[in-house]
Amino acid sequence: MIALLPTLAEPQHFSLIEKLLFAVLALASVLAFWRRFGKILGKILKSKQDAGFPLFPLGWRIRDFVWEVLFQAKVVCERPLPGLAHAFVFWAFCAFALVTLNHCAVGLGIGFLSPAGRFGRFYFYCAAVFALTCTAGILLLFIRRFFFRPKWLGAKLSYQSGVIAFLIFALMATYLASFFVAGADPRARVLWWLHTLTLLVFLPLIPHTKHLHLVLSPVTVFLSRGSFSQIPPLVGDEDFGLVAGTDLTRLVSLQAYSCVECGRCTEHCPAANTGKLLNPKEIVLGLRGYLNDLGPASEEPLLGKYNAQEAVFQCTTCGACEYQCPVGIEHLPILVGLRRGAVNTGAWDDPHGSKLFLALERGSNALGISPTERDKFIEKQQLPLFDGTQEYCLWLGCMGAYDPKGREIVADFARVMNYLGASYGVLRKEKCTGDPVRRLGNDLLFQQLAEANLEILAQNKVKKIVSICPHCVRTIQEDWKEYGAPPEVEHHSEFLARYAGKLPQKGSGSESIVFHDPCYLGRYRNVFDEPRQVAALAGELVEAPRNHERSFCCGAGGGLAFLGEETGNRISHVRAAELSATGAATIATACPFCNTMFRDALSATGEGAPQLLDIAQLAARELPKGSSS
Amino acid sequence: MSGILVVLEERGGRISRFSWEAVAAGQRLGAQLDQPVSAIILGAETESLATEIAARPLAKVLRVEHPLLARYTADGFTQALQQLIQKEWPAHVVLPHSYQVRDYAPALAARFGEALIGDVVAIGDGPVFTRQLLQGRLNGVYRHTGSGPCFVSVQAGAFRAELSETADLQPAPISLFTPALDPAQIRTKPAEPFRGSAQTVDLASAQRIVSVGRGIREAENIPLVQELATALDAELAASRPICDAGWLPLERQVGSSGQTVSPRLYLAVGISGAIQHQVGMKGAQCIVAINKDPDAPIFEIADYGIVGDLFEVVPALTEAVKAAKL
Amino acid sequence: MKIVVAIKQVPERDAQFRIDAQAKWIEEADLQFTLNESDAYALEEALQLREQHGGEVIVLSAGPERVGTTLREALAKGADRAIHIDCDDLGARDALGVAKLLAAAIQPESPDLILTGLQSEDLGLGQTGVILAELLALPHASLILHVEKTETGLKVKRELEEGWFQTVELPTPAVLTIQSGGNKLRYATLMGIKRAKTKEVRRVTAAELAVDAAPVVVLERVALPQKQKSTQILPGTAKEAAEALVEKLKVEVRVL
Repeated sequence: MIALLPTLAEPQHFSLIEKLLFAVLALASVLAFWRRFGKILGKILKSKQDAGFPLFPLGWRIRDFVWEVLFQAKVVCERPLPGLAHAFVFWAFCAFALVTLNHCAVGLGIGFLSPAGRFGRFYFYCAAVFALTCTAGILLLFIRRFFFRPKWLGAKLSYQSGVIAFLIFALMATYLASFFVAGADPRARVLWWLHTLTLLVFLPLIPHTKHLHLVLSPVTVFLSRGSFSQIPPLVGDEDFGLVAGTDLTRLVSLQAYSCVECGRCTEHCPAANTGKLLNPKEIVLGLRGYLNDLGPASEEPLLGKYNAQEAVFQCTTCGACEYQCPVGIEHLPILVGLRRGAVNTGAWDDPHGSKLFLALERGSNALGISPTERDKFIEKQQLPLFDGTQEYCLWLGCMGAYDPKGREIVADFARVMNYLGASYGVLRKEKCTGDPVRRLGNDLLFQQLAEANLEILAQNKVKKIVSICPHCVRTIQEDWKEYGAPPEVEHHSEFLARYAGKLPQKGSGSESIVFHDPCYLGRYRNVFDEPRQVAALAGELVEAPRNHERSFCCGAGGGLAFLGEETGNRISHVRAAELSATGAATIATACPFCNTMFRDALSATGEGAPQLLDIAQLAARELPKGSSS
Repeated sequence: MSGILVVLEERGGRISRFSWEAVAAGQRLGAQLDQPVSAIILGAETESLATEIAARPLAKVLRVEHPLLARYTADGFTQALQQLIQKEWPAHVVLPHSYQVRDYAPALAARFGEALIGDVVAIGDGPVFTRQLLQGRLNGVYRHTGSGPCFVSVQAGAFRAELSETADLQPAPISLFTPALDPAQIRTKPAEPFRGSAQTVDLASAQRIVSVGRGIREAENIPLVQELATALDAELAASRPICDAGWLPLERQVGSSGQTVSPRLYLAVGISGAIQHQVGMKGAQCIVAINKDPDAPIFEIADYGIVGDLFEVVPALTEAVKAAKL
Repeated sequence: MKIVVAIKQVPERDAQFRIDAQAKWIEEADLQFTLNESDAYALEEALQLREQHGGEVIVLSAGPERVGTTLREALAKGADRAIHIDCDDLGARDALGVAKLLAAAIQPESPDLILTGLQSEDLGLGQTGVILAELLALPHASLILHVEKTETGLKVKRELEEGWFQTVELPTPAVLTIQSGGNKLRYATLMGIKRAKTKEVRRVTAAELAVDAAPVVVLERVALPQKQKSTQILPGTAKEAAEALVEKLKVEVRVL
């Protein structure tokens, strides 16, 4: 049996010249690293401070850091095999921290961890195990990138990645090889120098490549904004969003430099998947390019050379990008920030966008319809008016009040509430919650709508709201906080799930139902089970290939339902086809926008298309005949 | 100060139908106040027009003729009418509320320290004049309290042109009035009128639109509706699904992601009336809906509706329209 | 070019209203107010002219205190300064009386161009601009969709009935009444509102303008129209219904 000892760690009899050479090379490497990294750090620190960034409490930050960075949870869960391979590489890096330190100390003659000692030997053997897994991992990743060539990594081959992969391989190989060479053997010294040179070449390459994420991404994950799609408030009279470099904040700059170019955001983006210009990865890299070329003090517009305005307005704000990102980049505040910069300054000149804004400037709803239509609907459906005594205020929203499908959903939900004996009423007057204009970046209009609505709610003494629309729920609960204290609000799936036991259920052997997770209910609110509980009352559930937090957007969000024709394939058609392909008899939705989008898409399919029903309609269907509205 | 003067307009060499409605309004007023009703026509050559007017029961016909009145200008018409009114000194001046009248009548009234009571839909005892307020949601009753002539313009369609005719065999006397006009007084230079821009389809300015929706079922059936549109001298339009399917070009789409139209007549064939479509056409003056579903939302905003199979109704309608035109 | 745009604040379109106790007008207490639609187009035309030819855009409005909000909206959209004619009895004045007020306030400004919207959404008289021109002895044109500056003055595109148009040339100073739909309206932006904070709003009272207020036309009373819009479903066979419809189109709608 060969005495496998990590001779890389054995103190060698380095001559003074060798020690000096090492010291000089190490210094040069560190300087080269700092020359570039320092600049980047400078750009990040010179960026505007983030307003109201809540560093404390640290508890959840530490927890997320441990989960996402140390355990590599997102990296592995979202792309299992490559994720695990990367995890091995990462864990090897962590394990090698001491090894590398000791290695350098050895080069200066002051090695502190001896392989002869019990702890040292144990540690070095553990590190060898990590080195083996790392080698396997890096080989796998190399083969995947250069031979299988997944679409999401980009069409161009990244030689940078190849070089880095080689360097990592070399580090592990030289380490492992040293186990087979005796300390006195001259080859041990060669291996030592090979390992050292690899290290010293690697170090300065880090800030020059996307491997900057090695240094930055743990920080980025730790310094998350705090919640999903957290849109920061505007500060002062001159803040209009992300207009130019001077508006980029430290978090945005940090995130831009952390991008690993893995393409997971683009892989799940509904716009990128249907032939649009928008590519979330390119948005982030565009900002990075801007910072590299112009820096955070530049007045040149962010939208222009580095990112196209057209692309930014193709985003449905579905959040698949932000949800996926393993290095903690928060795409949504960036996209909304860029939109704000264009809209708050009047630079966005879109006929449909202007029409939407003008409709809300003059009227109460996003569809530009007379509010008397809402009154007529309430009267026709005999919906009770909220008078302060009922428990719930049923928020109709624009779709619930004016859209034929939305109205059907409200009517059926009201039937179920009546059956349950729930105490509720609808407001005499409502204005649009402002979701589309909030996502499009029109802060003036959003403020006006939020404040007007908060006033209405206060006057009517509303304590609890239930709504059929996840966009309304999100906007009321989170976005209105900037202008006041909104009451409790929940989605009708949460309400119905609570009473699922009291609602009639269909027997088994019934129709198959596929539930489509709305973006604003699933990813935004983490509500996945409740709507399924309700849908299960009416049939057998099947799942679409992309479900739960991987659900594929219907295409209506981000204000896009109000904008003009899409280029490329229709997002709604793609998703509708995916849902139909499950073979389910019924598609269940929990959002009136999803419902409208799929209705149009399915009508193009013609005969044989599945039924399309909201979960409220499914629940109402099972009610005994004669349940009144 | 007495008598009623009605100002008439010509269109295509003949007196416009709208003008006859104004005459009817004038006659109503005349009957109420027991005062004579006379007519005015302005222009450079008004002889044949005056003869046409004189066939109606009027006290007299006044030809206001001057070369500078060949083409309408606000200055020319205001000056000429001011002089005539000063001479005749009527109690009331009645005009049709046409684009042309809106351009000069307020100024003309102001010259007499008066304000035009415009776009009147009814004349009541007093006399009082009813106008529509708040986009037709409220009616206002106006009374003239000034000391000069009362200027009133009437809304198109509010008075029946036929009422201005009666079998009167005596033509009214015609007299000529030549106003004193100076070219320097005419400050605006109007050019020859022209049609809208040469687009293949201009739904926005179309007066009559026949619109087709999902009820048509197949592209092959669209010619059925096209025939009706042709018979009605209307533009063909469609709801979104039809254009999405490529059966009609996008420029014919009416709705929130298409055109917004406000024609005098909008005939929705096989269109359910989803909100997205409604916002594009609810400004139409008269909405007619043909749909086999009695609960279709389109019926809520339609003025007239036929609940039936469009494949039967549309051909029948085309027949009926053609017959009416004969 | 110095342009004055006369704007009016009107009740929000489609708002629910109640007739007041004296049946003279509607209760204003619960109403929301907004900028009159064709005035928004007039303002847009003025802003575009200023963008092309330089100059100043001044907005002017008569009415009670609440009119200030609409004036500030106009400033937010890009007007340079505003004049508020503080007047609590606008409803008691007729079109001539209102025009006299505006003329008195505009006269000292000596603008090159005065724009008004075609007509207001509440009273719908459509006369203010034309009377203003008369009072100020200026040439005018109405129902304008497009304005172009020329060597000698202006060339404007006027809308005629039934899809016809006409260009008219006239010298400046002049008055134009602007029809809706000629331009794309710009939306109010946050930047606009912030900038508007520093723009001047000059207040002048109706009394200071000392115009004769006695009306020659009086709105005696208001009432709801008798016929509410209701759908007439034409019964019978396809042939019967079709013939009934044609009859209606001929006689009631008068479109055949």
